[in-house]
Amino acid sequence: MKLVDHKKYLLEICEKVDQDLTSPTCKKLREHLSQCPDCAAYYDSLKKTIVLYRDYDVEMKGSRVKEILAQLDLDEPLRITLPKKRSR
Amino acid sequence: MEDDTKLIEAAKSGDKKAFGRLVKKYEQLVYSFSFKICRDKQKADEVLQETFINAYRGLKSFSGNSKFSTWLYRIVTNNCLMMHRKKSHEPVVSLEETDLFKGTEELQVAHWGETPHDAVLNKELKEVLDAAIQKLPLEYRIVFVMRDVEGLSTEEVGKSLKLSVPAVKSRLHRARLFLRNELNEYFTK
Ligand SMILES: [Zn+2]
Repeated sequence: MKLVDHKKYLLEICEKVDQDLTSPTCKKLREHLSQCPDCAAYYDSLKKTIVLYRDYDVEMKGSRVKEILAQLDLDEPLRITLPKKRSR
Repeated sequence: MEDDTKLIEAAKSGDKKAFGRLVKKYEQLVYSFSFKICRDKQKADEVLQETFINAYRGLKSFSGNSKFSTWLYRIVTNNCLMMHRKKSHEPVVSLEETDLFKGTEELQVAHWGETPHDAVLNKELKEVLDAAIQKLPLEYRIVFVMRDVEGLSTEEVGKSLKLSVPAVKSRLHRARLFLRNELNEYFTK
């Protein structure tokens, strides 16, 4: 099979990598993947790419609720009454 | 689980405690999403705080047509885009012009073997993942993270970013291929 034929599959692999390949519309692709180790490897690598990014998560060190609410309090108009100047 | 609608209504009328509960409920989600886009913990923390402050100020415009989380995602992406434009130059890669299938002639060597699983992503691999995704223009990165990492539907991503469904798909495919090609070097070396 020529590379150009694979290109067609590669594009389809990319489009369907997040889908369930057992659906009837994926029949051709499924068949090709079972016969072509190169496209199967490509499919596998694309799938792993997504999984790796999904697995890479970060936890917050601590809650930011206090800081955020403090920021919001700054939005409130200041209501400080200044002492009146004494007139002599 | 507290009912978002009630908390949002209360927060809209100025109840900061209610808003605080919303922050508590969604801050990890927002932080994690921010990190996945900017790939920097300090920036993610800044974006997190900005996002909730913007959310509070703009709460009246939240109609309830989308999920509250989706609405927050939209604020995060706006903040990330703004921060990005302010601080840095656009990445050099133009995905519209690059041939994404470049390198597929070597398909036969592209067997990745076993990749490490979840909790055990090591430091080196994390750096590789960060570096690869940082090369991706932000508009592509956001689509990839929303759709493939966070699992939003194509329609939701489109709505959030004001993009048509075909535009989301096209960006998504390009992002996937780009990242896969970047990681390929690491896994086949
Ligand atoms: Zn093939």
